[in-house]
Amino acid sequence: MVVKIPSHPKYLCIVREVTAKVGHIHGINEDLVEQLKLAVDEACANVIKYAYGGDARKRIVIRYKVDRGWFEVVIEDSGVKADPEAIMGRRLEEVRPGGLGVHFIKRCFDIFEFDGKKKKGNRLRLVRYLKEKDEDRYNGA
Amino acid sequence: MKIDITEHNGAKVFSLSGDIDLYSSPALRKELIFFIGEKVPLLLVDFRDVSYIDSSGIATLVEGLRGMMSHGGKMKLFGIPERIVEIFAFSKLDKVFDICGSLDDAVKD
Repeated sequence: MVVKIPSHPKYLCIVREVTAKVGHIHGINEDLVEQLKLAVDEACANVIKYAYGGDARKRIVIRYKVDRGWFEVVIEDSGVKADPEAIMGRRLEEVRPGGLGVHFIKRCFDIFEFDGKKKKGNRLRLVRYLKEKDEDRYNGA
Repeated sequence: MKIDITEHNGAKVFSLSGDIDLYSSPALRKELIFFIGEKVPLLLVDFRDVSYIDSSGIATLVEGLRGMMSHGGKMKLFGIPERIVEIFAFSKLDKVFDICGSLDDAVKD
């Protein structure tokens, strides 16, 4: 399944709805659906804020692929390249605005990786294993 | 997100409904900053009808709390749905914010 949205924050609600629906269709429990929804929303919000610098006229492509053992989301943009080394949230003990989004993404997804082969923009791959030992199946797929 | 602002025993009550996200949180920030500027002593945020909050919404509330504290005011949250409480807890902000069960609990000192 592929969803394409303009890079305006008002479209994030569509990403949340689709993420939740994909989760429900595949029988994912409600607690995890909520985490997936928040994490994918945060990843797309980061594209809007950082890759596109708030430019609402660009495009974000979100691809979903779900197996019995994993939930994969690939988010693509054509904006400024992210520096994976520089992406880290604030320390949770530190009370200040900002820096939480990446924590919401990383607590939900087992794999958080940028495709280094993409020449322009970013391709972020997020994978959540749905069952124990499905890591090996996913890697062999 | 919709924001209704009322008064209750001298406190400003922000009743929020819907999703607080990157799109809607600037409107909340604008209202919070206005009342912080007015140096209101107590600001209560009603979460009963909030369906969703993301990191930008939480950041707005942290900024609001800091603003209220800067003039000796208090900000309390009440009626937070369980799934949103979990987000505050994960963020370690459940101990930072004064979180109450109901409006009556929130107005008690």
